[in-house]
Amino acid sequence: MTVLHPLELTHFQAFLLFAVVISVTFGFLGRRRSKDRVKYILWSLFLFLLVGIGIGWAMFPFSR
Amino acid sequence: MGELPQNITTGGTPSVPAKNDEHSPGESRALALGVAGWLLPGLGHALQLMWGRAVVVFLAVGLLVGAGASMKGNVFTRQGNDAFDTLGYIADLGTGSFYFFARAIETSGADVSHADGDYGTRLLATAGVLNLLAALHAYEAARGHKA
Repeated sequence: MTVLHPLELTHFQAFLLFAVVISVTFGFLGRRRSKDRVKYILWSLFLFLLVGIGIGWAMFPFSR
Repeated sequence: MGELPQNITTGGTPSVPAKNDEHSPGESRALALGVAGWLLPGLGHALQLMWGRAVVVFLAVGLLVGAGASMKGNVFTRQGNDAFDTLGYIADLGTGSFYFFARAIETSGADVSHADGDYGTRLLATAGVLNLLAALHAYEAARGHKA
C-alpha cells in the first residue's frame, strides 16, 4: 500500500496550486501554438490571483 | 395576373436528407477516445498523438489527486449521506482510475476537521471535473470540432 507524506499547505498555497494547475491545463487544451499558450496561461493565472485575492479582501470585514 | 406556379414554396429551409451520423465509425471512435480519456487522464489525447496535452492532463490530474489525498481530503464513496456527498462522489469519479489511486494512498481516512482536509477535498473534486473537461475535449477533437 502506497502512503504519501502528509501535505500541509496554507490557504494561499492551496489556492496557488489550484490556479497554476488549472491555468496550465486550460492553456494547453485551449491553445495550440506555444506563444498563445504562454499568453493564455499567464493571463489566466493573473486573473485567478486577482479574483481570489479580491474576494478575500471583500470578505475581510465579515471575518471577525 | 396569373396564379402563382404550384412549384414555388412559400419559405422555410430546403429539406435536406437528414444525416444520421450518430452511430458512424467516426462518432464511435470519438466516444471511445472520450471514455479512454476519462478512465486514464490524458489517454484520449495520447491516442490522437497530442502528446503535450496528454502529458499535461495526466500530470495535472495526478498532482491534484496526490495533493488532495495527502492533505486528507474526503474521497467520497457511493454511500453518501446527502446530495452534496453524491455530487462529491460524481466529481471524484471524474478522475477515472485515479479515484482508486486516491483511495489507496489515503489509508488513514479523511480528516476534514482541519482546513487542510477541506482544501484537499476541493482539490480532489477539481481533479475530477478537470479530467471530465479534458475527456470532453478529446472527444470533440476526435470529431474534428476542436484541436
